[in-house]
Amino acid sequence: MSTPLAILGIFGDAIDFIFNAREARTGGAEVGGLGEFASLTGKHLLVTVAAVGLASLVALPLGLYLGHKRRGGFLAVSVSNVGRAVPSLVLIALFIAFLGVGFANVALALALLAIPPILTNAYVGVTQVDRDVIDAAVGQGLTDGQVMRQIELPLALPLIFGGLRTSVVNVIATATIAPIAGVVTLGDPIISQSVYGDAGKLAAAIVVALLAVVAEVGLGAAQRAVTPAPLRGTPGATRRGRFFVKTAGKGLSTS
Amino acid sequence: MSTPDQTPSGAAAAASPASAASPDRAPAQLEFVDVVKRYPGASAATIESLSLDVPAGEILVLVGPSGCGKTTVMRMVNRMIEPSGGQILIDGEPNTTRPAAELRRDIGYVIQQTGLFPHRTIAENVATVPKLLGWPKARIADRTAELLELVGLDPEFAGRYPAQLSGGQRQRVGVARALAVDPPLMLMDEPFGAIDPITRERLQNEFLRLQETLKRTIVFVTHDIDEAIKMGDRIAVMRPGGHLAQYATPAELLLSPADEFVEQFVGADRALKRLALGRVRDLRLEETVRVRYGDPTAWVREQLRTSQVPYPLVVDADGRPLAWLDDDDLRGERVVEGVGSAVATVERDDILRDAFSDVLAHRVQFAAVVDGHGAVIGILSSDAVARELAPGPAPVEPVEAGAGPGTGS
Amino acid sequence: MSGALGSIPLLAQGGEGFVRNRESGSGASCVSDDGVCPAWIVDHFDRYMEPLGRHVLLTVVALAIGFSISFTLALLAHRRRWLIAPVVQLTGILYTIPSLALFFLLLPITGRGFLTAEIALVSYTLLIIFRNVVTGLDGVPSDVVDAARGMGLNDRQVLWRVEIPLALPEIAAGLRIAATTTVGLASLAFFAGAGGLGDPIYADLNFKSNVLVAGGLCVLLAIALDLLVLAVQRLLTPWTRAVPA
Ligand SMILES: Nc1ncnc2c1ncn2[C@@H]1O[C@H](COP(=O)(O)OP(=O)(O)O)[C@@H](O)[C@H]1O
Ligand SMILES: [Mg+2]
Repeated sequence: MSTPLAILGIFGDAIDFIFNAREARTGGAEVGGLGEFASLTGKHLLVTVAAVGLASLVALPLGLYLGHKRRGGFLAVSVSNVGRAVPSLVLIALFIAFLGVGFANVALALALLAIPPILTNAYVGVTQVDRDVIDAAVGQGLTDGQVMRQIELPLALPLIFGGLRTSVVNVIATATIAPIAGVVTLGDPIISQSVYGDAGKLAAAIVVALLAVVAEVGLGAAQRAVTPAPLRGTPGATRRGRFFVKTAGKGLSTS
Repeated sequence: MSTPDQTPSGAAAAASPASAASPDRAPAQLEFVDVVKRYPGASAATIESLSLDVPAGEILVLVGPSGCGKTTVMRMVNRMIEPSGGQILIDGEPNTTRPAAELRRDIGYVIQQTGLFPHRTIAENVATVPKLLGWPKARIADRTAELLELVGLDPEFAGRYPAQLSGGQRQRVGVARALAVDPPLMLMDEPFGAIDPITRERLQNEFLRLQETLKRTIVFVTHDIDEAIKMGDRIAVMRPGGHLAQYATPAELLLSPADEFVEQFVGADRALKRLALGRVRDLRLEETVRVRYGDPTAWVREQLRTSQVPYPLVVDADGRPLAWLDDDDLRGERVVEGVGSAVATVERDDILRDAFSDVLAHRVQFAAVVDGHGAVIGILSSDAVARELAPGPAPVEPVEAGAGPGTGS
Repeated sequence: MSGALGSIPLLAQGGEGFVRNRESGSGASCVSDDGVCPAWIVDHFDRYMEPLGRHVLLTVVALAIGFSISFTLALLAHRRRWLIAPVVQLTGILYTIPSLALFFLLLPITGRGFLTAEIALVSYTLLIIFRNVVTGLDGVPSDVVDAARGMGLNDRQVLWRVEIPLALPEIAAGLRIAATTTVGLASLAFFAGAGGLGDPIYADLNFKSNVLVAGGLCVLLAIALDLLVLAVQRLLTPWTRAVPA
C-alpha cells in the first residue's frame, strides 16, 4: 500500500524541485527551481546546437555531393556502422583522456556522434531520387548545380531532416553525460546526486526525457512539413510512407 | 487447417496412393454452377453467374481482355478466392467439402511470376507438396528427378536456387512443381506470359506434348487469343463484367464468333488463325506430272493436259523434289539439267499456317508434300487451302475429329 | 552552482566494485602521468574481465528479451496491420528517452541494479527489431506467398516456411543494429548500479590506459556481436549468396 504512494511522493517531490528552488543537501547554495532548470536546459541546447551544427557543416555537403555523384556509398555506410560501434560514453571518455575537458571538446565529441546519421541520410536521400527524373532534367538542359539545387535537394529534404532529427535526439541524450567532461548540462543534477539529492536527480531525468521527446516530435513535424505535398500522398500511402521515412530517418541503415 | 502436415493422414494418403507418381490418376471433371463473385466494396459483380462444364482431361482456356475476371474464375477453383454464390464441382463433389489447404495440395498451381521459393533449391521447390503430404524421402527424390526430366531440365539444376535460372527454366520448374503429385486438375494463370516469344513458343509446344501423355484437366488463363487457340481444347471467351461471351472449341470460335465482341477479340484475321488448327495431312492432296531432267518435252506437255496442277515437277532418282518447270523451260527438245524454279517443301504433320506461308513465299504457288525420306507424296495447292477456309456446309476436318491441336501425333 | 566535476562524488556513485590501483606494477611514472602504458595494461588486464563479462550478460539478456518481445509483436502486427502504428509510436517514444534519464526514472520503482538496467536496455531494442521484422515480412514477394497458399500450405506453414526464412536477412540486420546499440547503452548501465565496462571507464576518466582498454573492449564487443549475427545469418540464408545465372 505504501509503496505506490511513496513513488508518487518522490515523483511529486521531483516536480516540485523543478518549480521551486531549495537548499542544497550539502548546505549553503540554493538548488533547483525554474531559473536553474532554464539555464541548464539552455546550456544543454547550446552544446547540442553547436555539435549538430558542426556535424551538418561537414556531413551535409559531403553526403549531398557523394549522393549526387552516386559514389562513396561504402563510405557513407561504413561511417554509420563505425559510428554505432563506438559507444557515446567511450567517445567522450577518449576525448577527456586524450584532449581534456571543456565545452569545445565536448561539442567536438558530440559532433562526431552526430555525423553518421546526417551523412548517411543525405547520401541515401539523394541517391534514392529516381534516375529517370534526373535524366529528364539533364536532357532539358539543367546544369549539375541546378540539378542538385532544384531537384535532388528538395526531394532529399525529408530524409535530410530525418537524419538531423536522429542526430539531435542522440546528442540531447548524450549531452546528459557532458558534466563528466566539465560542461554543466541537464545531466549535472543526475550525476552529482550529492548536491541535488534524489528529487533533483529525478527532476532532471524528467526534464531531459521531455526535451528529447519534444525534439523528436517537433522535428518529426518539421520533417513532414518539408516533405513535398505530392509525396505525402493519400491517407493510406502516408501511413506506409511515414513508416518507411522513419526507418530511414533514424539512420538505421541495414547493410 | 485441421490436417497435420508431414504425417500421411488418412485423407492425404488416399489422395496420394503409391502410384501417384505415374500418370494413372484419373483426370478430374470440373463444373461451374451459377458461380458469382462480388468483391466487397465493388458496385458490380465481377463474375455474374458463370456456368461451365469442363470434360476430364481437357484444357479449358479462359481468355479475355485484362480485368475481365479470368484470374478470379481460376482462383475460385482452389478457393484462393471464395465465391459469393454458386458451386464449383470437382468430379461432382463441391470444392468446399474439404479444408482449403487439403484441396489445394491436390490441384496443380502455376502462376506467371512463377512464385518459386527463392530460399529453396529447385529440387526442394518441386518437392513442396510431396513433403506436405509426408511422402518418404526416397520416393520424393525419385519423383523429383523424374519431374525435372519430364519438363526438360538437366539434373544438375536440382541443387541450384531459382535466382540461378533463366525465366524459361524457372517456368519449367513451376510446371514440374505443379505436377509433383500428378494432380487430377491443374490451374495455370498466364504461365508463359512473362517469357520471350521464342521460348514461349517452345514451352507451349513442350507442354502440349506433355499433356498428350498426362491428360490432365487444366484451367489455363491467358489474355492472348493466339495462345488460347493453340492451347485450348475448349475456350471460354470472357467479356468485361465477368460475362461469358462464348464457350466453344477453337475451330467453332474462329468459324462462327457468337457476337461482335468475340469477332473483334478474335481478330480480323480469324480465317488465317484457323490455319493454325489444321495440318497438311488434313487436306486432300493433288497430283502433277513428275519428270526427270533429260525427259522429252513433248511427252511432258502431253502429260500436262490431264494434270490437276499446271506445272511439272522435276524429281531425282529417289523421288525427291528438285524444281518446278514452266513453259519457258519446255522450249527445247529435252528438259535441260538445272532449269526450273525452287520448290516449297512441306511435311504431312506441318501446321497448315506454316505450310501456307511457305507456299506464299515461292514463285510457284504449290508445295511438294514429302514423306520422312523426302520423297514427294503429293502436292498442296493454295486453292486447296482457300477451299478449306471458305465457310461451307462441311466444317474443318480436325474439328470433326474432335481433336484440338494438342491431340494426334 | 554545480561543482559536479571532480572524481570524489562521481566515484561515490559510479565505480563501486572497481578498485583503482594505479601504483602497483611496472612503469609507475607512465601511470602517474595518466599515459598509455603497455606494461600496466598487461599487468592489470584481468581486472577488466569481470566488467566485460557483466557487459556481455547485460547485452545478451537484453537482446534475447527484446527480440522475443518485438518478434512476437511483429508477427501479430503482420496479420493485423492496424497494430503497426501504435507499436511504432510507443516503442518510438521509449527509443527517444535518453537512457540515462530512463535509468533514473526507473530507480524509484525498480531500484538500483540489473533489473532496472535490463528494462531500459530492452526498451531500446524494441523499435529497431520490430521495425525490421515487419519490413522483412512485408518484403517477401507476394507471388511467392500466393504460390505457397496455392499449393496448400496453411497460414502457419506459409509464415514459418516461407515468410520468416525470406525475411531473415532483414531481421538479422535489425538484430545487428540492436546489438551494437545495446553494447553502447550498456556502458551507461553502471549509473543504474548494474556494472559493465562503463564502471572502469568512469572510475578513472583521465587515465588514458584505462579508457583505452575498457573503451576498446566495448568497441570490440560491439564488432564481435555484429559479426556473430552476420555469420549466423549467412549460415541460415545460403540462397542469398547464390550467383545468378
Ligand atoms: N481482391 C480484389 N478485391 C477487389 N477487386 C478485385 C480483387 N481482385 C480482382 N478484383 C477486380 O476484379 C476484376 C477482375 O480481376 P481479375 O480476375 O484479376 O481479371 P483478369 O485476370 O481477367 O485480368 C478487376 O476489375 C479487378 O480490379
Ligand atoms: Mg489475371
